Amino acid sequence: MKFILYSLLVVLVISPVGCNPPPEKGVIMQEGIRSDDLGNNIVTRPIVHAFSALVGEGIEIRQALTHVNKNGFLELEVSGYNRSFDTRRFEYKVEWLDGSGMLITSHTSKWMQTSAAGKSPFTIKAVAPRTEAVDFRMNTRKIPG
Amino acid sequence: MCRKLIPFVLAVVLCGCQPQTQNIDTINDPGKAVMQLDYRDFDRAASEMVQSLIASGSLKKQGGGRYVVATGRIVNDTMQRVDTDQLMAKIEQELMNSNLVVMTSAVGGNTASRDSMIYDVRDVRDSDKADEFNKDTLQAKGQLIAPELSISGKIIQRNVIYDNNLQQVEYYFQLQLTDLTTGLRYWQNENIIGKRGSKKVVPW
Repeated sequence: MKFILYSLLVVLVISPVGCNPPPEKGVIMQEGIRSDDLGNNIVTRPIVHAFSALVGEGIEIRQALTHVNKNGFLELEVSGYNRSFDTRRFEYKVEWLDGSGMLITSHTSKWMQTSAAGKSPFTIKAVAPRTEAVDFRMNTRKIPG
Repeated sequence: MCRKLIPFVLAVVLCGCQPQTQNIDTINDPGKAVMQLDYRDFDRAASEMVQSLIASGSLKKQGGGRYVVATGRIVNDTMQRVDTDQLMAKIEQELMNSNLVVMTSAVGGNTASRDSMIYDVRDVRDSDKADEFNKDTLQAKGQLIAPELSISGKIIQRNVIYDNNLQQVEYYFQLQLTDLTTGLRYWQNENIIGKRGSKKVVPW
């Protein structure tokens, strides 16, 4: 009897799962929009979410690119990924350093707010306020309050 | 004896409950958001505006040199008594430090960005008091440099009823850069700051 019940449960879990075609590159289909699959459906979703929260999945930075634009100002593009299922709001501050490693004081180096949707990539962009900037450092923090 | 002490003890306890006045850590402020515009909002808006303007390349003068820029009219269309210099002083400072522009104090939409001394010394030059000055040190006519570009804009506030308990206040910071010779607009940016909070809080 138990075997039949378990088998039914497995069938119920698997039955809504179709053969999802891989999404178009660059297109992110969030839960509730895309079709369910084996790892993410009405039965497994709460477990997967709970596990993600339990292990503390959050923001990860994957790449920080800099380039000098045509006007001679250093531009920064930080790319990351939100591993959490929830939208993560946070603050970041970019500070610019000159050739000798000295901090360039600027009104643009303030705590700025940004947000990354769950299980999605995000990008932060910043432009140096002076042409003397050759390097940067970036800090992050939770939004106060 | 005890009854006489009660008011004294109460006074000490109540005084002890008052929050202490503290200086704000303006570099790493851990304070909560407020419904009105505070200095952090102006900092963020100014930072985004400056970065957008620098990145656009609109301030790069053809053939080298620096543009002369005047601050035009910045309209405060909010329900708060906002001094628009809170926004513009930061932007002007950063633009000058970028070495892309020179700001003029001779003309401008805001009296704070104009220096009345420019005209006071000229009034002296044209008056009887001019005899008291060494003529070589008085400003000659036709020396002021006219601005080539102007930055103008607006701060707008919209209040929206979100639900029975919450209100939403939207602030729009809009700036534009105009060539004063041709009237053409080279750059424009809008920065939105939205706040959602209790309906009981008055956002002005």
